[in-house]
Amino acid sequence: MPEPALSITGLTKRYDDGTLALEALDLDVPAGSFFGLLGPNGAGKTTMISAVCNLLRPTAGEVRVFGLPGTSLEARRLIGIAEQEPNLDRFLTVRETLVYHGGYYGMSRDAASARAEQMIDVFDLGAKRDVRAPKLSGGQRRRLLLARALLHEPRLVILDEPTAGVDLELRHELWRYIRRLHEQGTTILLTTHYLEEAEALCEEIALISAGAIVARDSADGLKRAYGAASLEDVYLKTVATGRLRARRQAEEAAA
Amino acid sequence: MTGGVDTLADGPRPWRGLAWLCLRECHRVIRLWTQTTLAPVISSLLFIVVFGLSLGGRISTIDGFEYEVFIVPGLIAMAMAQAVYSNNSSSIFQARNDRYIDDVLASPMHSWQMNLGFGVGGVFRALVIGIALTALAAPLTGAPVERPLILLAAVALVLAGFGALGTIVGIYAHTFDHISFVNNIVILPLTFLGGVFYSVDSLGSPWQQISHANPLFYVVEAIRYGFLGTADVSPWLAFGVLVAIAAALIAWSQYLFASGRRLKP
Repeated sequence: MPEPALSITGLTKRYDDGTLALEALDLDVPAGSFFGLLGPNGAGKTTMISAVCNLLRPTAGEVRVFGLPGTSLEARRLIGIAEQEPNLDRFLTVRETLVYHGGYYGMSRDAASARAEQMIDVFDLGAKRDVRAPKLSGGQRRRLLLARALLHEPRLVILDEPTAGVDLELRHELWRYIRRLHEQGTTILLTTHYLEEAEALCEEIALISAGAIVARDSADGLKRAYGAASLEDVYLKTVATGRLRARRQAEEAAA
Repeated sequence: MTGGVDTLADGPRPWRGLAWLCLRECHRVIRLWTQTTLAPVISSLLFIVVFGLSLGGRISTIDGFEYEVFIVPGLIAMAMAQAVYSNNSSSIFQARNDRYIDDVLASPMHSWQMNLGFGVGGVFRALVIGIALTALAAPLTGAPVERPLILLAAVALVLAGFGALGTIVGIYAHTFDHISFVNNIVILPLTFLGGVFYSVDSLGSPWQQISHANPLFYVVEAIRYGFLGTADVSPWLAFGVLVAIAAALIAWSQYLFASGRRLKP
């Protein structure tokens, strides 16, 4: 059986202010899958992703990427992340952003330059190639974020709410890119709170609430399991369960 | 979309990542050259012209050197220390503030390579300023470079120590005011009081003893020894203090990168 693209065991994160964002979270994402992580704001989606990408200090737990320890350089080389908030280097142009990213991930100048041109072409950023990130529109920044995440050809691509706040046209454009990427064998982990997005794109969906996975299956499987007519009904039932569980545990801890 | 460039087979290659991060930091210095290099060179040159050449004629020689020659090493030391500190602190702070530091933190580089890479821009900036000031001040004042190897060693220690201090402040700072505070309220006054414009030996008690407790005094004296071949303290003592300061600050900055404290939630 092939190693899962992502294997998370007992991942816990308690922030310095005492907030428990993740609580002994377990999750396996099969290699080659299109996996959705669905949950409300504050459920722990971004915290989990940050832990996987070496952007957070977990309190406890283990992350493995294609069988490699998550903190190893080899594992980090295999991951590409497009974060929720555009975090682009203000001193670099579109082309430089991509070439430097390739460099950080160990690509030679020639390889990074060639790949950057490909990405500029694919994401239709040719007219802005010499423009610095702060002068790009919101949609162009989103495209550049995605291009940067894919530049070093990662085997696991993590997209943290890639369509949050974008217009309908760009959303469908991004869906097309992501689908094409998945068809080429890349594992996709997508977090979203758009239910229709998860249903349209993902083969499998995990619902996260109060820092723990509360349900996991295909969209149809979830509907069957919860006797729900829509994913929205499943979402409401599971998220409500998760919040109830968290409240009960907090009360037990206080007692 | 994935054809053409086989990169995964290459492995992480963290040395290449370090080279690119160094390049990025130097790129930033060059892109902002009027702020990062031109302005500090002009302001230090003004000090030399105003204090040295204009007022120097009214001041007797210090330690056997004309006043305009005596102040050159301290002014160069001050300009370089401030440049490497300012550069590293502001670069790290901006990267944290805009979160583009995540692109580096997520990349396959060792923590020490990230620490080193972020520090190289400041070293580059300080060297440009130091070389430009030396090239302009030497013919203007006749300041010699008596011990070039000792000068290089002193510069290396100053840049390592103040670069690490800039990294630490850039990591801890909540606003740009914190960065300016350390520069304007700590580094600048201590440098002035460290004997840039006068010989500490000429001070009476207790000011002379107090000056010896100022770490910036040893920075000025080590650089002055490299330029003029003379200093108010033993060069061994000055170098010992510089090594201790640099080692402590580098260890602190490396702890922050290795642990992720303040860099990652």
